[in-house]
Amino acid sequence: MNLSYRIYYVFFRNLVSYKRFVVPTFLVSLIEPLFYLITFGIGMGAYIGYFGGKPYLYFLVPGVLVSSVMLSSTFECLYGTFVKMVHEKVYDSIIATPVSAEDAIAGDIAWAAFRGLVSGSLMLIVASFMGVLPASIPSVLILLFLMVFVGILFGSLAMIVTSFAPNFDFFNYYTELVITPMLFFSGVFFPLDKFPDWMKTFSSFIPLTHAVNISRAVFSGVYRPELIFSFLFILVLEAIAFYIGLRSMKKRLIK
Amino acid sequence: MKTIVTARDLLKKYGELTAVDGISFEIREGECFAFLGPNGAGKTSTIKMIHCVSPLTSGALIVNGLPAHIENRALKMMTGVIPQEITLDSDLTVYENLIVFANFFDIPKREAKNRIAELLKFVELEQKRKSKISELSTGMKRRLLIARALLNHPKLIVADEPTTGLDPQAKHLIWQRLRQLKNQGVTLILTTQYMEEAQQLCDRVVIMHRGKILKEGVPAKLVEDEIGREVVEIRIPKEEEEKIMSHLSSLSCGHERVGDTLYFYCQDGQHLMKKLIELNFHNFLDRPASLEDVFLKLTGRGLIE
Repeated sequence: MNLSYRIYYVFFRNLVSYKRFVVPTFLVSLIEPLFYLITFGIGMGAYIGYFGGKPYLYFLVPGVLVSSVMLSSTFECLYGTFVKMVHEKVYDSIIATPVSAEDAIAGDIAWAAFRGLVSGSLMLIVASFMGVLPASIPSVLILLFLMVFVGILFGSLAMIVTSFAPNFDFFNYYTELVITPMLFFSGVFFPLDKFPDWMKTFSSFIPLTHAVNISRAVFSGVYRPELIFSFLFILVLEAIAFYIGLRSMKKRLIK
Repeated sequence: MKTIVTARDLLKKYGELTAVDGISFEIREGECFAFLGPNGAGKTSTIKMIHCVSPLTSGALIVNGLPAHIENRALKMMTGVIPQEITLDSDLTVYENLIVFANFFDIPKREAKNRIAELLKFVELEQKRKSKISELSTGMKRRLLIARALLNHPKLIVADEPTTGLDPQAKHLIWQRLRQLKNQGVTLILTTQYMEEAQQLCDRVVIMHRGKILKEGVPAKLVEDEIGREVVEIRIPKEEEEKIMSHLSSLSCGHERVGDTLYFYCQDGQHLMKKLIELNFHNFLDRPASLEDVFLKLTGRGLIE
């Protein structure tokens, strides 16, 4: 692993280019989760009524928030990175400078995490207007950290997919077969306790489940000890995904 | 003169394919050195190893006293790369492309701004500072690639087919700039398929074919040794060749037939031309021998795909 402070230079490159995409990406980041909140939260919430003592919207927000972080960082490292790598050849010119391939890829993952953080924060603002807020100020900080961790995790996982993707269409397999199902198996929209045991076990291997658990605690203010396990699960998976992502992308970039 | 690049038995394989087949060469500091060769000869693979973006399969490659290696940041720091493909960042403007790149070389912001202003002038793109890449012509893009390659004040410039696809004006401007850099003492390593480019710019060339070096030398000397001074091309179908050959065999010129043309390689084409006119044959062309003749003689006139 040949990593250095130059990761920031790659991050900066993305920041400079982002200027031109700020408005459309803000809109997408806002509208998609809003759509979930309004349809499920208000529409379905009207049927469900109270959920653990609070309106359904309170249940929904923490899950949708981390999901939006997941989606943003995933798409950034799938489509964003693929375009830069294959169509624009940005990486080819970067690796001819003192910036190493690892720096470049880590810079893109860091960028994906930032994009995730922006999406999640926008969500948080929207939710707070709807009256749904984290339990305390320290909880907000925990939530921000969580968003960064979730962003790095899903950015790294997407990077692995990108490293062997022959074309754009290939990403459909990942988004349709991995990312979308994750939304339904991780307790974003409904609690998992009515699942049969095997499904619960399955869910516990899904990283989003753990992110949702932590996010929920942030909003309720109830931190149960099992959350340490959830946090470690994310951390370990993230370290592995980051390492594999860097290695496999480097293999693709350097021939 | 000091050598800046030394390669010994340099080998590059991509899986089963051998792109560079155990070549050795030396490049001296301050010279312009070109790798010539048809498509797939191994030119690009060779220079990619020199500027440390592609690992060697085996052999030794020393650049500026250091082993070339993909993790060698010190070598990348002193090298400017003008790639074959237009690898400009199309999400960014002309100026942003340069400022982002200056960052990659740890150039402080104020210094970077000065260098960018200078370089945009050097490649005559001051007016395009705020343009998007998509608004530039191919010639402008190529010039911007040169400016980008010069940001770090490189000691060594590696240019991979720098004028491919350019109109004559743009091509000559790029040649001017490259010569100017050479005069400033920069070492230039070039790959090209345009023999004129090599003759215009280079002190020494190697001709590569199928991963090997076929010939090495000073362009004018190579032409003289391999071809002679003049080439007389005679357009004549093979069936009619007999008629004139008997009259021409006394002249000591080598000849070769390719398609509809007979090529005669001579020190002096005068006698040959006189003979042809005597024979009342006028469909011929007498021209000075060029590096292209050497290239075609060595690599064959057939298509290489």
